[in-house]
Order: sequence, then C-alpha cells, then structure tokens
Amino acid sequence: MENAIAWIFIFPLFGAVIVSLLGMSQKKICYPISVFSMIGSFVAGCVTIKQAIESPNHEVSYLLGGWTLDQYPRGVGIEFRGDLLGALICLVVLGVGLVVSFYSKIPVQEETPGKEPLFYSLFLLQITGLAGICLTGDAFNLYVLIEVAALTGYGLIAMGSNRAAAATFNYLILGTIGASLYLLGVGYLYIKTGTLNMIGINEVIVSNGLMDSASMQVAFILIGLGILIKMAFFPFHAWLPNSYCNAPTTTSSLLAPLVTKVMIYVMIRMVLTVFGVEFSFESTLWADVMPWLVVVAIVSAAVMALAQREVKRMLAYLIVAEVGYMVGGVWIYNYYGLIGSIFHIISDACMTLCLFLGTGIILRKCKTTHFDGLRGLFSKMPITMAGFFIGGFSIIGLPPTCGFFSKWYLITGGMVSHRWEYLIVLMFSTMVMVVLFFRLIERIHLAVSESGQNLGHGHGDLGLTEEQTKFEEGPLSMVIPLVAAAAVVLLIGIYNQDVVNQIEVFLEPFNLPKGTVD
Amino acid sequence: MKFVSMLPVVAVGGILLLAAKDFPAWGDPQSPASSSPVSSHFIGSTGVDTEVPNMVTAVLADYRGFDTMFETVVVFIAGIAVLAILGGAGKRRASKRVHEVEAEPDLIVTNTARLIVPVIQIFAFYVLAHGHVSPGGGFQGGVVMGASFILIGLSWDLETALARFSIQRCMAVAAGGIVIYGGIGLLSMFLGGEFLDYAELESILPVSREMARYHAMLGVEIGVGFTVTAIMFALYANLSTAGRLKGGL
Repeated sequence: MENAIAWIFIFPLFGAVIVSLLGMSQKKICYPISVFSMIGSFVAGCVTIKQAIESPNHEVSYLLGGWTLDQYPRGVGIEFRGDLLGALICLVVLGVGLVVSFYSKIPVQEETPGKEPLFYSLFLLQITGLAGICLTGDAFNLYVLIEVAALTGYGLIAMGSNRAAAATFNYLILGTIGASLYLLGVGYLYIKTGTLNMIGINEVIVSNGLMDSASMQVAFILIGLGILIKMAFFPFHAWLPNSYCNAPTTTSSLLAPLVTKVMIYVMIRMVLTVFGVEFSFESTLWADVMPWLVVVAIVSAAVMALAQREVKRMLAYLIVAEVGYMVGGVWIYNYYGLIGSIFHIISDACMTLCLFLGTGIILRKCKTTHFDGLRGLFSKMPITMAGFFIGGFSIIGLPPTCGFFSKWYLITGGMVSHRWEYLIVLMFSTMVMVVLFFRLIERIHLAVSESGQNLGHGHGDLGLTEEQTKFEEGPLSMVIPLVAAAAVVLLIGIYNQDVVNQIEVFLEPFNLPKGTVD
Repeated sequence: MKFVSMLPVVAVGGILLLAAKDFPAWGDPQSPASSSPVSSHFIGSTGVDTEVPNMVTAVLADYRGFDTMFETVVVFIAGIAVLAILGGAGKRRASKRVHEVEAEPDLIVTNTARLIVPVIQIFAFYVLAHGHVSPGGGFQGGVVMGASFILIGLSWDLETALARFSIQRCMAVAAGGIVIYGGIGLLSMFLGGEFLDYAELESILPVSREMARYHAMLGVEIGVGFTVTAIMFALYANLSTAGRLKGGL
C-alpha cells in the first residue's frame, strides 16, 4: 500500500482512457467504470491521509520516476507530497467526485445523450487534475495539472445548453490568462532559484536571502494574480456565473464545489510552502492590500447574489462571496484565520455540493430554477428540499452544520488580529445569506409571486393544483447522493474538532501569529 | 475602450521590466538556474543515469516524465473536448454553410501527395525513434505523422483521409498512446519501483538499469507519438468541417 498516493491518479486516469476506448461501442459501461474508478481513487485517498497522519513528519513523500532524495538532489524528479493539508483537500476532491459520479447516471443520459463516453472521460480526467493539484510538490507540475483541470472544465461546461459555448469561451480566455500569469511567475522563480520543487524553492529563498529581490516580488504578484483569476475572486469572477449556470447538471455539481476551492488551496500552498510566511506577509504589500480587496469582494458578491431571481445564478454569486471569505482568512495573517480558511475550503466544498445536487434535482423536475417556479416544492419533494436547505443553512452558518464552525474560526481570526473590517463584512454577508435562503423558503411556501401578485386564495392556499403538490421525489440515484452530501455536512460539523486538530498539526511549524483578545 | 485595455498591458509590461533589473546576466554560468544542484545533476549525470546522449529528452521523458505524461493527456483532452462540443453536428443542423466542392481532386496535387506522403511518414518515424540522440521525439514525430494525414485530406478530400483513419480509430489510437505511456509507468510500479521508475524494467528486459531507462523512454515517446498523431488529425477533421466530417477545406 506504499503506492497508495499514486493510485489516487492512476484509477481515474486509466478509467478515463478505458471509458473512451470501450465506451464508444458500449455506452452502458461508462457509468459503472466511472463509479468504480472513483471508489478506487477515494479508497487510495483515505489510505494516503491515514499514512500522512501516522507518519512521524506528517507527510507522504512520493518520488515519481524513482529519483529518490537520498541519491539525487531534490528537484531532479517530480515529487508528490501528501502533507496533511494536501491529503485533506485531496480527500475532499475525491469524495465530491465519488458522490457526483453516483449522481451522474440520469442527468448525463438525459442532457448529453450519445456523448456519455466523452463526458465521463472528461469527468474522470477533471478529478485526476484536481487531485493531482492537491498532492503535487512541484511548481511546474502544478501548472500542467491546472491545465488538465481547466481544459476538461471547458469541455464539460461547453456540453451544456446553447448558451454554454459562449460562457465557455469567456472562461477559456480568462482561465488561459490566469494560467499564463502563473506560468510566467514560475519562470521568474526558476530564474532566481534554479529549481522547481516547492520545498527546494523555499530553501533557496531562505538561504540566498531573496526576500527583497524585485523579481521575487514580481513572481509573487504574477502567481498571485493568476491564481486570483482562476479562483474567480471579485473582480475576476466574470467567467463564473454564466459558466456554472449553463453547464450540464453533473458538470456544475462537480466544478462548483471544487475548482475555486482547489485554487484557494493553491494560494495557501504558495504562501506557506513556496514563498514562506515571512516573505508573503512581511516582504510584500499583499497583506496590507488584500484584506481591503476582500471587503470589496465580499460586499459586491453578496449584493449581486441578492439581486438574482434564479437559484442557480444566486448560488454562483454565493460561491464568489465564499471565495472572498477564504481569501480573507488567509490574508488577515493570523493562525485562527488560516485554520478557518482551510476548514472553510472543506466545508464550503460539501455545502456547495449539497446545494448544486439539490438544484439539479429541482431543475430536472421543474425545468426552471426561477424563484416563481418553485412554489409547493416542500410537499412535492421533501427529501430533496431538506438536503438543499441543510446546504443552505450551512452557507448561512447555522450550527451544527460545518459552515458554522469554519465561519467561527474565520470570525475568531478577524477578532484576535483586530481586522474589524473583515469581521463586519463577514457579518454583513451572513445577513445577506439569511435573507437569501429565507426569502427562498418564503417563495416556496407563500402564494405571493416575485412581482408581488397574490396567486392563492387565503390561508395556506398556494394557488396550485393537486398535481403540482403531490409527493413526487426525484430518482433514487440522484436523491441518495444528495442525502449523503447533507449527512457529510452535518457529520463534519459534529466532528469538526477532529478536522481542526489535523489542520493545527499542519500549521504548527509555520509560527503564525495567534493574536490577542483585549 | 482600447485605451483602457492598454492600461493593464502597460502595467504588466512595467512590472516585468522592473523585475528584469535583478536578473542574472544573460548566459551567466553562475546564475542560479545554471549552477543549482538540479541543473548540475542534469548536465553531469544524464549519461550515467540513463545512457541517453540527448539531455533534453532525458529531462523531458524521464526526470520529468510525469509532466510529459500529463502534457500528452492535455493533447488527448483537447481532442475529446472538441469531439464533445462539435460532435454530432451533422445530425443537429442541415448544412447551412455549403462548402463541399464537387470538383475532382487535382491530378498534379494528388500525384505529388502520393509521392511525398510515404516520405513524410518515414521521416516521422525517424524523428520519433531518433529522439534520444538528436532533437526530436514523440511530440514532433507525432505532429509530422498527423500532418501526413492532413495532407491526404487536403489533396483529395476529407472522406479519403477518413477512410484511412476514421474518427473512431483516431480516438482509439489516442487513448492507446496514453495506455502505452501510463502502462509503462504502471508496469514499473508493479515491478517494485515508483510510478514511471523505468529502471525497474530491467527485470523483464535483458539490459542494465540504465539501458532499461533508455528503452522505456523510446516506449513512452511512441505513446506520445500515437496520441499526438491521432489528435492532430481528429482536430483538423472536426474543426475544418465544424464537426460534420464532410467536404472539408
């Protein structure tokens, strides 16, 4: 089992190839092969994180190509480093992938008939790319895997409705700019350090005293900007809402929880492992500027979410706001803020998954996600709506969902580092989310349409026919994954201390300021 | 509007120039990129580690073979994504843009192509197989090979080329290339090493550990060549006809 970390990408990679080879003649086998590869990959991910927790230095180092560190200098080969952070986020990626692959059976058949093999190969390669991003210890390999994840993303989104192609084109241009900036930054790093291994780069920065070098600063700006574009940080978010709204159901359920979150992981990795805490927070202006950009980002995204009248589009803007939370948690430069940020990556992935899985079922049944089309859904699809609103309550931050605990750490971080502006926008956006979700509940329960027109005839009458309120759940293959995702949201909330303990072990060596309460 | 879009361009350009001032001198042997332990190892020990005289190939296919595997996967993804987006266009809408040409293929053009296509294909094999010792390798060889099929499509018509290399076969060959590359990696893992640790192949090849790396590099280059050939042609066939696979340029 010492190769477990390699099996994480071998399963989906070979799964994708097999699906595209055999799927052309037998479309039925695509789904079982995908689910099987995801199960294998998920098990390998569990084994890897177990190894990381049990190993003395809390990481699994895997030298691809056998260029071991005792015989060759670091950076000759490519290293996979599953430290606690990487392995944890990787497990989230694989978990979401597993749930979505179960869920995908009906939506893929209905939305992209005849293209199942192509869809599933892109789907599995997307997981390969995202899982690889979490584990790789090499700055250039990270770029290659970002490309794998981005290109499969373009393909998966463009398979959606007619408008999807235009949205994808927008995404493609912005995504390529982001990736190019990242690559340019890696080039600068290589010129100054002569290695691409993340730990190697950090060692050279410290030993050669590159803290004040202008080209290192530029490398940091380029890499940072590239990642911000990729993670849809406001004002670079323009590609996100249209892409996720027009994408096929399975695609948006897979991409919305993962892509932006994995890019935030990349930012944390760059800040902590590659450039180092001292360089990132004390030698650059980012720690002064970013918290204020975060304030603008969260407020704008929350207001834009408030203006939406369609569930899917509203959720897309919520993702942009959540990205602001996590970026803020990193840049307030505080131990608790960073715990909150990392924990929020995990919990946001789970609750976004819940919301998008729920939206997919609603969209299939109602053919719309506009607020007006959802009346009476609680009596029609009680399980789906329960799952959906567990995700929603977690976004708001109600205990015992995981969203409460991650937000708690973010708020603690803001408080002990005296970042009141961050605290205020967190509260503001929480209020906005309360309004968003309770307005949605109201729309579903009350007979007043969005334009204020009264459709019912008095108490409890929604103006709906019996046909429209009859119990009619979505198909089991879609509802069970949603229930599982909702259960995970609650379980992570209940066992939050176990997750936080691992994050604390990971953050221990970085000596982040813990702040004071006065 | 153009003025506004100039601003970020100027800003980025300024930042890049700002950084250039503390770059090491051009070609400086003492610069970090030339003197780091990693570069020194590549320059000093490539021959010892792998028996491959072409350092670039050794770095690309062995030291950093994992990157190259995913570069190949990126090429494969491009092909799949184009098929996913454009595929089935023939059924979806009747030909709005008529660009089928009824004329017979030109005699001079087809005869020239008939003469040079075999030469191009032999040259492709040479570029692919000679990648260890001279510039070349799977990507270049694959592109040359793919170009020979595109030439057939251009000189006769797309149907002629597709009769020799149908889209289904393209995708099978492309996937086969990845199977070859990943399979060699997987095989070396089953033989007791890490993923892509070609040296472990010595136990099934009658050669030394270093020569095992040498031969495995040829193997993975062949895999890359398969994928690139097939995807080159599949991209041309799909893009030139907007997915209808009829007529063509």
